[in-house]
Amino acid sequence: MSYLLKQLAREWRFLLRQKYLVVLLVCTFVMSGFAVFSGLSEVTQQKQTIERLKAADLTDLTNVQHKYEDPGSLAYYSFHLTYSSPSNLAFAALGERDIYPWKHRLNLLALEGQIYESDAQNAELAQAGKIDFVFVVSALAPLIVILLFHDLFANERTSGRHDLLVTTAKSYFALWGARIAVRLIAVIVCLMLPFYIGTLLSHSALADVGFVTFICVIYIAFWTALSVWWGKNASSAPRVASTLIGFWVLVAFIIPILGDLVINKTVHSPKGGDIVLTQREAVNDAWDLPKKTTMDAFVASNPQWKDHVDMQSEFEWKWYYAFQQVGDEKAGELSHAYRDAAHTRYQLAGIVSWFSPPLLLQRTFTRLASTDALAAFRYEYRMRGFHKSLREFYYPWLFIKGNPPKAALKNMPSFKKTMLNEMDEPEVTGVKLKENLSVN
Amino acid sequence: MSINNFSKVVIVAKDEWRYWLRSKLAMTVLAIGLVLTVASVIVTAITMMELSHTRHELQATSDKSFVDQPDRHPHRMVHYGHYAFRTPSPLSTLDPGIDAYTGNSIFLEGHRQNSAMFADSRQGTALTKLGSLTPAFIVQTLAPLLLILIGYSGISRERESQTLSYLLSQGTSGATLIAGKGLALLSVVALILTPLTISALFTLGSGEGLLAVASFVLGYALYLIVWVLLILLASSVFSKNSGSFTALAFVWILLCIVMPRVASTTASTAVSSAGKIETDFAVKAELRKLGDGHNTNDPAFKQFKQSLLNKYNVSSIDELPVNFRGLVASESEAKLTSVLNKFAEQRMQAELKQTQVSRYFGWVSPMVAIRSLSMIVVGTSIETHHRFLRETEQLRFDFVQGLNKVHVEKLSYQDDMNRNADTAATQKARVSAQNWQILQDFTFNVDSSKARAQRSIPAFLQLLLWIAVLLGGIKFVGRRLL
Amino acid sequence: MTTPTAINKTPPIEQKTFDKHVSNTGAALNDTMIEVSSLNFSIKNNAILKNLSFSVAAGEVYALLGGNGAGKSTTLKTLLGFNKPTQGSVKVAGKEVTQALDFVRGKTAYLPESATLYPHLTARENVEYFLSLADIKKSDEQINAAFNRVALQRDAWDRHMQTYSKGMRQKTAIALAILREAPIFLLDEPTSGLDPVAIDEFNQLVRELALTGATILMVTHDVYGACQVANRIGLLKNGELVGEYDAPQSGRIDTEQVHAAFGHHANRGA
Repeated sequence: MSYLLKQLAREWRFLLRQKYLVVLLVCTFVMSGFAVFSGLSEVTQQKQTIERLKAADLTDLTNVQHKYEDPGSLAYYSFHLTYSSPSNLAFAALGERDIYPWKHRLNLLALEGQIYESDAQNAELAQAGKIDFVFVVSALAPLIVILLFHDLFANERTSGRHDLLVTTAKSYFALWGARIAVRLIAVIVCLMLPFYIGTLLSHSALADVGFVTFICVIYIAFWTALSVWWGKNASSAPRVASTLIGFWVLVAFIIPILGDLVINKTVHSPKGGDIVLTQREAVNDAWDLPKKTTMDAFVASNPQWKDHVDMQSEFEWKWYYAFQQVGDEKAGELSHAYRDAAHTRYQLAGIVSWFSPPLLLQRTFTRLASTDALAAFRYEYRMRGFHKSLREFYYPWLFIKGNPPKAALKNMPSFKKTMLNEMDEPEVTGVKLKENLSVN
Repeated sequence: MSINNFSKVVIVAKDEWRYWLRSKLAMTVLAIGLVLTVASVIVTAITMMELSHTRHELQATSDKSFVDQPDRHPHRMVHYGHYAFRTPSPLSTLDPGIDAYTGNSIFLEGHRQNSAMFADSRQGTALTKLGSLTPAFIVQTLAPLLLILIGYSGISRERESQTLSYLLSQGTSGATLIAGKGLALLSVVALILTPLTISALFTLGSGEGLLAVASFVLGYALYLIVWVLLILLASSVFSKNSGSFTALAFVWILLCIVMPRVASTTASTAVSSAGKIETDFAVKAELRKLGDGHNTNDPAFKQFKQSLLNKYNVSSIDELPVNFRGLVASESEAKLTSVLNKFAEQRMQAELKQTQVSRYFGWVSPMVAIRSLSMIVVGTSIETHHRFLRETEQLRFDFVQGLNKVHVEKLSYQDDMNRNADTAATQKARVSAQNWQILQDFTFNVDSSKARAQRSIPAFLQLLLWIAVLLGGIKFVGRRLL
Repeated sequence: MTTPTAINKTPPIEQKTFDKHVSNTGAALNDTMIEVSSLNFSIKNNAILKNLSFSVAAGEVYALLGGNGAGKSTTLKTLLGFNKPTQGSVKVAGKEVTQALDFVRGKTAYLPESATLYPHLTARENVEYFLSLADIKKSDEQINAAFNRVALQRDAWDRHMQTYSKGMRQKTAIALAILREAPIFLLDEPTSGLDPVAIDEFNQLVRELALTGATILMVTHDVYGACQVANRIGLLKNGELVGEYDAPQSGRIDTEQVHAAFGHHANRGA
């Protein structure tokens, strides 16, 4: 044991004397630190935004409830905040949250007309991509590993030291083993240390941290093994690195890009614009259609209200909301196809990512942090569920009971309550979610 | 430089080419580079043309369905609304920029400013998070790597094999040697830029301005020249091939992979921009003061009512020769729009400020500089999206107010007030479908090529500064090659 | 050629170190330490070494002489265990190299041709690093003594080696070899690129090492250098041993044959 430590200690001192290795390691640490720091501040900003929105939402809702008595106006003017909070691990993998929305305000109007609005951040910044921990590990770490290990053998060969080193060393491990181990440990520590600090600050679950550590170490070990193996018999360091970087370009860029092209060609999806156009046509045509047509269509899917659809005047809120829902139902098929296509694409991308280790890592990581497309789909699913509970709340007042007393408004559903009700639900997996998406 | 010197430079360059032609690695790299560039040019051109076609078509459908609506109450058409689609600029076949990241269609209706919907990236596979097969990505990110792989040993190789001192002792000056190697690399740059240039010239046919095309090609040429100079510098400074290679690879990682992301992350952390939902609360608070345009009894319109009665010298709104409800709708729409615009403008300014911060990183990374330059010149930058938002807002305001005018002039107040009494009354409270012709055909056009070129000047300056500094550095080491 | 002043400059031999050295090796004078018999080595049916046999005893300096491509380096690499013999046996310190690699490497000190140690370390740091690799602990005094023995000037000991001349690098490498206390020395073109003074110093050192019982095998293309220092010379041509000469001081080497050997290869190389 002490012999082993002695070898490691010697190679550690030796590493510290090689300036470019130290520069490389320091840069790794700085980049990982920056990624974790900016990830933490991004997550804090998101959380603060949600808190501010919650407060403003409550004030707004209270105002509306003061101002209006009838359920129609209440439903028209009451907007309800929905949101998807970043998980404790989100700081390390910001994922798709800059592309998919994570906050929305909904009212009782047709959902398909509301749900596609994007409250996205600055598109030009989203296009450049953010630097987060998972990016540093998945995309940068391989390059750093390549730079650290590609000349392990070649450098000694070109300098004519290789044979002397090998014949001097007491064993193979004492030399190469110790050198590889020290560089590997150093790069892992430089990468992971900021992450651990981040997990402490964000109170991440220990199991998650353990799992992340596990996959990161495996991933970095993979690139190390590849670099060492490829460089073992080579005598030209740049040649080794060229091929390795070429391989990196292949798995990080080329394979995913080709996969993306193929998936987009094979999976057909309705155009988003068509969904909203269909929905809008349905809603607007309803004004000119006989009321009965709308109400019949409404009753077909909501039989419990069939005795309450008669109208006394040319405009009644119940009719107004009925044709909103009928509009949603008309667009339902397109909307399902649209969501299914997105989901199929996500799943096919999963197959492609098996050929691209960097993307596989990103995928695993963002899944763990619930910041991937699946999490976004789930949020949309929840919004749909919430809209349903809004309808269930308002319809009795709209169709039968008339103006709700102020006390009844306390039972108005809130997104938070719907989320709490879901807590017992088993964690939604990809397949399960797909079923769920088709239900609503 | 004398003729004699120049011919020496050409000889050095030719010799470098001979070395590449005999090196499997260099030839592979060159072939891959060209295949990727050509493939990206073709694939992106097809995709963007399809997109452009689809959006034109959707726009036409939307225009048609608006004017094809039957006789209706005019305010119903205000809520029926209209769609505007952002058709991509001709040059965006080379750099789609933010096209996939912002919604490309927007629903225009009364009393609201909606945000753009259906960003393509949300239907994506997330596979292209690191890079996409666009000419912009290939030339900005991968071309420098290819140049490095081909050129890293240009001078260090001569030094390592000790031919450098031989060459220098034969009367070839250091500057000539570097210039020759540079010329060889420049010919590679020209090779990479050829498909890009041809494709850019094609866009002239679809109405793109010459200035934009020229700026685009020049920008990319300058960018790749920066890399050629970086390679020459590293190759001259380092005594060993491996040193030159490692340094260049590291610089590439920093400038091309890390910096753009550091720039965007820093920008979004440094300048916070509230989302639309959040500003909507402030908008709503301000709007509440304006009153509800649907409700003529809203106390907010009391003063407006009085001024109208005074103007037409009548005692009640029933006696007004025009439809009071329409007037209130028009009046409130105007006020509301000015509030909405104020907040929209604030949001756009915040976004612009963020973008500005990220663009400052162009001084430290030529990749950031060319990225901004390319998107600005092509017309797929945030400014273009803002222009789209402003133009569609104008379109929205015009058609809504057009309809309100119809409401005021073509529908009597009495019919309007009775509209919900019975089916016959509802039928009466309508205007002819002829009036829907007020909608103007909307085609989104990007800023003029001159405006875009002007906007890209800072990015050009950033690239030129890089070139100047690197030339200085090379001149310095060129005198001390041995 | 001999420069008396240079030899005089060499510091007195430290008897203590030498005694220890001899006792450590456990080899008595004249024991056979390197034994190559019927060695054949080929790469893809291309015979590089053909039926090569020679042996070196403790206290002996054996020079393997030959032109470019004669197979000198291949022989050396086989002794170091980098090449596996196609046929025949290579024994070092009584053991077959391929079967006891770590043992053999522990018994040999190898001096590569362009003895480049780590340029970013000082001579002392280099020596310490390599000794640690071999799992040998030496005090500062012992390292100083070795530097003195190889006549490395004192002011260079703690200087980065990138400032060293070739001769100084060579001296450091020899100091390292001595400090390893290996009974067998394998020297690859040890005098190429050295100035005459340095060559004399080096030859002197090699003879001293041999006197203390070290086994020394050097490969070289320097005929005259070999004559000055070696007890025996083996002439290698085309992978074959074409002649062996005892103690050149006692008799003249067959220049005809030497020239033939070199000339042949020069032609082949052209």
